[in-house]
Amino acid sequence: MKTAIQAELPNELVAEARAFVEQGWVGDFDELLAEALRRYLESHSTRLAESFIQADVAWGLRGRE
Amino acid sequence: MAGNEPAPPAIVCDAGPLIHLEEVGCVELLTDFPQVLVPSAVWDEVAKHRPSAFMHNTVRFQKVTPDKALSAELDVMSRLLALHRGEREALQVAQGHPGCLLLTDDTGARLAARNLGLEAHGTIGVLLRAIRRKQKTKDEVVKLLRSLPTASTLHVRPGLLENIIREVEQSP
Repeated sequence: MKTAIQAELPNELVAEARAFVEQGWVGDFDELLAEALRRYLESHSTRLAESFIQADVAWGLRGRE
Repeated sequence: MAGNEPAPPAIVCDAGPLIHLEEVGCVELLTDFPQVLVPSAVWDEVAKHRPSAFMHNTVRFQKVTPDKALSAELDVMSRLLALHRGEREALQVAQGHPGCLLLTDDTGARLAARNLGLEAHGTIGVLLRAIRRKQKTKDEVVKLLRSLPTASTLHVRPGLLENIIREVEQSP
């Protein structure tokens, strides 16, 4: 199942992505966007982000400098 | 300032904390760091999106250009974690300043920092530190934390933000 989305993107980014598609490195623009989203989600673990913020809280409240 | 605590280290800034602190009117919290190193890519990004961040005479801003080649570890991690140029330069400058503190709100950059043995914290850490450094009262910081979702572009899960606020309120 697929969902159509509408997004406003910087012109330069779109041009670069379209060139990538035209050069044949990826099937089409949709595939590129899906892959970019997948990689973003894989590399942005919410658990990791929260653990870093918890470390911020500990440092902020109880740090030594 | 706090009593017998060690002196604050130099800091290296990524764009996020500078922008987010400026959005809530708190860039001056960086005043008690002896050096506030801003890599040139970060400087350009902040100057473009939030130029007023640099209009604080009490903060010892210093624009720096990374002078050493990217280490192999940082090069690989930058690619794996899809770090932006500013994040990469901030890590690069931090590597050249042993003992410094990196300020970044990017999870990927923080993960890279941890792998490189660099200490890194973000906007929320700086806001909370203001209580310990007696720059702000606890009430002022709670108010700032509550303003984050509407006054800043820093995104924190609401439940987590509430937990942080509760921890601040209950702290000694």
